[in-house]
This record gives sequence, structure tokens and C-alpha cells, in this order.
Amino acid sequence: MPTRRSLLIAVGSAGLLATVGCTPMSSWWLAEGPPMDTPFTPPSGARADLLHHVLDRCSYGIRPGDRAQALALGGSVEEAAHAWIAWQLRPDDIDDSEARRSLRRIPSLTEPIGELYEYREQDLLRQLVQGHSLMAMRSRRQLYEVVVQFWSDHFNIDMSKAECAWLKTADERDVIRRHAFGRFRDLLRASALSPAMLWYLDGRDNRVAAGARPNENYARELLELHTLGVHGGYSQRDVMEVARCLSGWTVRAKNGFKKGTVEFHADAHDDGVKQVLGTTISAGGGARDLDRVLEIVCCHPSTAGHIAGKLCRRFICEDPPDTAIAAVAAEFTASHGDIRATMRRLLARPEFLDPACHGAKLKRPFHFLVSVVRATDARCDAGPATMAYFARMGHAPFQFPTPDGYPDHAHAWRDTLLWRWNLAASAASNRIPGFALDAAGLSRRAGGDDRLMAHLFGRDPDERESGAWRRSGGGERGLAVALASPAFQRC
Amino acid sequence: MTDPIVALGNPDNARALIVVFLRGGADGLALVPPVDDDGYQRARPRIAIPATGAIRLSGPFALHPCMAALEPIYREGRLAVVHAAGSDDPTRSHFEAQDRMERAGTGIAGGWLGRWLRADAVVTTGPRSALASVAIGSAAPECLRGAPSVTVMRSFADLDLGADGAWLRAPLDALYAGDGMLGDAATSALRGLDAIATMRSEAYVPAHGAEYGQDDFARGMAQIAQLVKAQVGLRAATLDYPGWDSHFFQGPLIEPMMRSLAATLAAFTLDLGQLLDTTSVVVMSEFGRRVYENSSLGTDHGRGGALLVLGGGTPGGMHCRWPGLEGHVLEGPGDVPVVHDYRDVLAGVLSRCGSSAATAAAFPGWELAPLAV
Repeated sequence: MPTRRSLLIAVGSAGLLATVGCTPMSSWWLAEGPPMDTPFTPPSGARADLLHHVLDRCSYGIRPGDRAQALALGGSVEEAAHAWIAWQLRPDDIDDSEARRSLRRIPSLTEPIGELYEYREQDLLRQLVQGHSLMAMRSRRQLYEVVVQFWSDHFNIDMSKAECAWLKTADERDVIRRHAFGRFRDLLRASALSPAMLWYLDGRDNRVAAGARPNENYARELLELHTLGVHGGYSQRDVMEVARCLSGWTVRAKNGFKKGTVEFHADAHDDGVKQVLGTTISAGGGARDLDRVLEIVCCHPSTAGHIAGKLCRRFICEDPPDTAIAAVAAEFTASHGDIRATMRRLLARPEFLDPACHGAKLKRPFHFLVSVVRATDARCDAGPATMAYFARMGHAPFQFPTPDGYPDHAHAWRDTLLWRWNLAASAASNRIPGFALDAAGLSRRAGGDDRLMAHLFGRDPDERESGAWRRSGGGERGLAVALASPAFQRC
Repeated sequence: MTDPIVALGNPDNARALIVVFLRGGADGLALVPPVDDDGYQRARPRIAIPATGAIRLSGPFALHPCMAALEPIYREGRLAVVHAAGSDDPTRSHFEAQDRMERAGTGIAGGWLGRWLRADAVVTTGPRSALASVAIGSAAPECLRGAPSVTVMRSFADLDLGADGAWLRAPLDALYAGDGMLGDAATSALRGLDAIATMRSEAYVPAHGAEYGQDDFARGMAQIAQLVKAQVGLRAATLDYPGWDSHFFQGPLIEPMMRSLAATLAAFTLDLGQLLDTTSVVVMSEFGRRVYENSSLGTDHGRGGALLVLGGGTPGGMHCRWPGLEGHVLEGPGDVPVVHDYRDVLAGVLSRCGSSAATAAAFPGWELAPLAV
């Protein structure tokens, strides 16, 4: 039986020598985390129950102690599921100091924009991915973290474009994380004026000049991706009019003073009359045109439907029923784009609260990797080896090139199985630098191999699954098979 | 049983593109010297390749004697050379020039190969291989940024599933059989596993008596050859060859490297046999070097250089509207001007590897005039 100490040694020097930027990585990531020896009670029965379904969908994976913690919130399994959702919808009431402590060694995450430019591009990327991953792995505010990634995809920015390399860190912090559970209008406005977004979608180049047409890149994506949706009922003329409204907003480049500062240049703004989606914006509005446009697009019924549709796709299934979308969209509208209220409505819908739809979603690679860490109580530094797996599986955070963000349908991710299996096998036998788990201890804590599988699958293993575990030889290999199995790819 | 290529990906996708990047600014005037250009002989009194005894290609051009291994392949029309080729980056800085070339522009997300692979994946039906894009080395190069997936490996050992992986194979085969969402993808992945297991377990014996050297470049190309031959659905592979920054005593520095480059490409050609017709190899560098030799028998950073295209149905031959090396045509401090933009060269190659839409996606904002190479 491996002790904590032998586990430390087994992790090997590679993980301990891994570096975050220029900060040497010590064993801090091994020293933290929940105790590794407490028994836990996995669910039982032939099918996943509501609590497992809710935990699996609304988090990055279920840790051994999570189920008991949720059950302590309410009486029955169903009551506990609802209580857990209510608890997660109030992230400010959830003490997350332990998870936040793991970010202490990642200096760039808290730097103001001016200071970010002092870093090397590759260090900022590495640190941001590490911070994002560590919070997904360790935060107790799991639903919030899931929603953060939803918005990060919705307002996608690829750090390989221009100065986004330096600015995305601030965008993720000041736009996405700050407003992920706030009001959509605030989120959208922060994104519109985010230095990184002004670079990513060329808003900084959108200015009036003699003989030049406005740069309509951001205006188009604002309507097509961020608000109304591609069939949301806008025309090419609307795109051009929105671009005119937003002309003049720019951000200072890194080769000058006040780099990364967002400014409005009245002389570069088209101050004439505009018509946006049937509404007239009178001349002379200047910088105020921005808020007029955001008000128009936020209140447009297509926006509620577009956002509701995407949320339902994320939390219910790939092809969510219209009834669910309509109800969520109605709440979005009624609450004036209150994201938490919208989520509360979604997570109360019968279409979501149906354990039968458990397993309908394929975990995306990021989710899969983090769920391996969480489900096995593994220690993971989210360092270079973790990042390499994200890249191999095509899901490297903040590196999706086009503004539509990483896809949320199974077809896009089916071809990553080989690397999921490789990850399962390597993780179960502690062959990934910066990653350590205790397969034997986990099985013991669960009450046996079949119980461990029930923990991973949310139900008793079927004969095929038990047979596969045995056939592999059990132990680490059994765990590898279970983590690589079709049931664990889903949620 | 279906053909393994069909199982691993669309049969149209059998074509693969191999990108070799000579890091450091390889001297095009050494790789493919214009020996009959008086300007060349005058500018490099001590290090020029003499016209007598050179391996003549066409026009003023010859192959460096250290590259003799490529002569028969050139004569067969399977090797194309583009001279005075390069990018529009005028900085002569390694980092800037490599970056600009690999991203194919500034202010664009992703790298050219990554964008191409992503656009290519859109038109691909059926499962895509887990090994569709492979970077040999310790990190993926910038050009692969934005690819749908990138496998970075130093060797096949990095693809280990633990022991022989057989213990995992049978259980997975059983668990995924008949799975509606993932069954097909699992079949494809299992075939990938088998191919990898074979590559790992057997000492590689190149075909047709080909022999690879022992240097890193040769080892890397041998691994790429294995991936191509195993038909695991490879679409693109990258391999860096560092060390071409020849400021000092250029000859002794780069001659062994040129020998290895040529011998390895020749071995790869022999090894692949017919498969070279569907496998394109591009050899590129961030810039060429100064026409004039410097005081330490080396050359400094320049602009235009030589680009090689091997296999994949290239018509072969020498491609260059050579401007000559008279003082007035030289650029800046005395550099070969860029006559052929590297994007037009790559576009010519990509047009044989995939759809025209994918080629366009690789180079947004650049009006392509693909070169027939």
C-alpha cells in the first residue's frame, strides 16, 4: 500500500522540476488537497440517480467526498440535488480559499494590464492555462467554473493573435470571471471594451478615415456570435451600422505609452445618424453610441434565444427541446439578462432534471482530464504535461483560433479517444509528470473495485464493465480501463 | 475488413505534408549556389562554390557538392528548388522572421499549417485520425498553432500506453463495441493503437535498402516515414533542423548538415517508394543569408533563400526568376531579394494536398499566386 511519502517519490523528479514561468515549482501542489484515506460511499443501482446526474453535469467531475457532502445538504437524493444547485448558485457564500491558495504561485493572474506586458508571451499563456485548470480541478464553486468556461468560449479570444498574448489574462479575469454570474449586459460591455477583444476582432482598427470603410469584424461577431446568433434576423446593413457606431474605440499598442489602455477617439468616430435593427441612433452620440448598440442587441429577442439555446446545449443535451430553450429565454428576458437567474431556471427544468438524460453529453477533453483528476482524488500541478494532453486532444484553453470558440457537440471531439485512453493508462499508473494518484487506496476507500466503478459511472457497473476490469488484470490497469471506458467519457 | 486507410480517415486524406524547418537562416547560396553568376563568385571570394565540378541544375544554379545525394532525385523530376524565395519580413531577426513565416502574417490567429488542418478537417467525413498532425520534437512549432489536434513526440516511446498496451486493447474493444456515439471512433483509435504498437515493438527496417543516418534529423525523418507507411491517417508532420546560423566558418559548420539533409531526404525518398507520390516534403528556412561573405568566413542574416519541395507529385525542376546579384538588385545591406513569396510556394504544394478552400484558409489576407512546384 503506497503511503503518502512513497507516492511523493513515485511522482518522480520531472513533475517537481516543472516550472511555471520563471517560478520554480516546489511540492506545494502535492501538499495541498483533501485527505487521501477517508472512505466514501458511491451511488448504487442500475442507473445514475438525479444527484449524480446533477453533480456530473454541473461540475468538472465528482470527487470521492462530493456526493456525501451534497447529501448532507438535504434529505432525499432529489432534495440534495436541488439543494446542491441552490448552493452552487451562490458562489460568494462558498468558501474557496483553499483553491485560491493554489493560485498564489502564478503571479501574472493578478497583474494589472501594464505589468502584463513585462511578461513573456509563452509564460502568460502557460500561467493562465494553469490557473484556469487548477480552479477547475480544485474550486468548490464548480458550477461557477463551468459557466466561466462557457463564457470564455462564447467570447473566445485566441492568445496567438497580435497582443492578445498579453491581454487575455486581464480579459479572463476582468471580463469573463468577473461577470460570469452577473448580468449579460455588463459581461457584453466589458467584453466590447476589453483590450484583448479590441485586438482579437480588430475593433481597434475600426475608425473613420477619408475613403476608408469601417472595420466590421467585431460588429459582425457581436451580432452573429455574441448576441443575436447567425439566424437572429440582422442584415449586412445592420453589421455596417453597428461598426459605424463602434468606430473610434481603440486600444494603445505595446510600442508606446499607456499600452493596453482603451480609448475613444472622437475624431475617428462616425457621428452621423445610424439605423441598427430598426432603431434610429441619432447623430452626435459619440462614445454613447456604444451603449445604445449594446442596449439594442441585449434586448433583442433573438439574443435571449441564442444564449438560452447555447446554455441548454451545454447543460441538457446537444439538441435541446424547444420547450426548455423557450423557458430559459423567457427567464433571460424577464430578469434583464441576469445570468444566475437564467441558470437557476435552466437547472430547474424537467428536461434537465431527468436522470435518463445522464450520459447524453460527451465530456470535452478539458472536462475529461479534469474529471480524471477529481474522480480519483489525484494531485495534479496542471503543468506542462497536462498542457501537452490538452493540445494532443485539441482542447488547449485560450488557443482556439476562430471567434466561435471550442465546439460543444460530440462529433467535434470523438476522434480524441486514443489520447483519452493514453491519459487514462498513464494517469492510473502515475506516469504523467506532475500527476499522482493512488489506485489501490481509491478502490479500498470506495469499498472494492465494483464500488469504485459505481463512483466513476454513477451506477453499478454492468457485466461488460466488470468483465473488462477483471480482464485487464485489475488494480491500476482496472482503473485505467474504467477511466478509458465509454461511460466515463460521458456526463 | 476495410482498408486501414478508409478506417482511419477519408481515403482522399491519404496525402501527407511534411514540413522541415531549417532554423537559423539556411544559406540558400550554399545549398543551391548560382555558380555561374559572376556576382556570386565576386561576393564570396573565399567561400563560393567553384563553377568547375559543381552539380549543375539549370541556369546558373548548382547543388552544393555536399548535397550530391539529391542529384538523382532532381534528375528524376521529383525535387523542385525555388530560389530567391522568402517572406516579406524585413527584420532579419530569427524570431520575428520565423514567427511571421509560421503564422503567415501578423494579426492573424494560428499558424498556416494549423489553419490549413482545421479547414481540411471541416471537409473530412468520417473519423479523423488521432495522429493527423504530428510534431517531431519537444514542442509544436508556431505553424501548427490552431490545428484541430497536435501530437508532439520525440519518439514513438512518447505514445506508450503502458507495457504493450494489449491489456487495454481487449477490454476497450469489448466496451466500445456497438456504442452509438463512440463506436466508429473507437474502431479507428484501436487501429491507431495497433499501428503504434507495431512501430514500437519492431526495430524499424526501411524499405528498398534505404539507410538513415544517426543524427536527430535522420531519426526524425525515419519516424515520419514509419507514420506515413503505417497509414495511420497522418495529414501533416513537422520536423525542425536547427543550427543553420552560419556567421563563422560557414563551410565546416554547415557542410556536415547539408550532407545529412541531402542523405536523409534521399533515404526518405527511397524508403517511401511509391508513397512519395502522395507525400510532399517542404524544406524551408526563415531567411537566406547575405550575398557577401563576412570577415570570419561566414555570412550574415539576409532575405531570399532556397526552398525545396520533394515528392507529392511535384513537377520538379528549378523555379526562379533570378534577379542576378549585381549590386543594384540586392536588397538592403546586400541581400538576395525575395522574388517568390514562400506562401505562393506552399500554396502550390497545398493545392495538391487538399481542397482549394483549405489552401485559402491557410493564408488569409494574401492574394495567392500559387507556384507550380
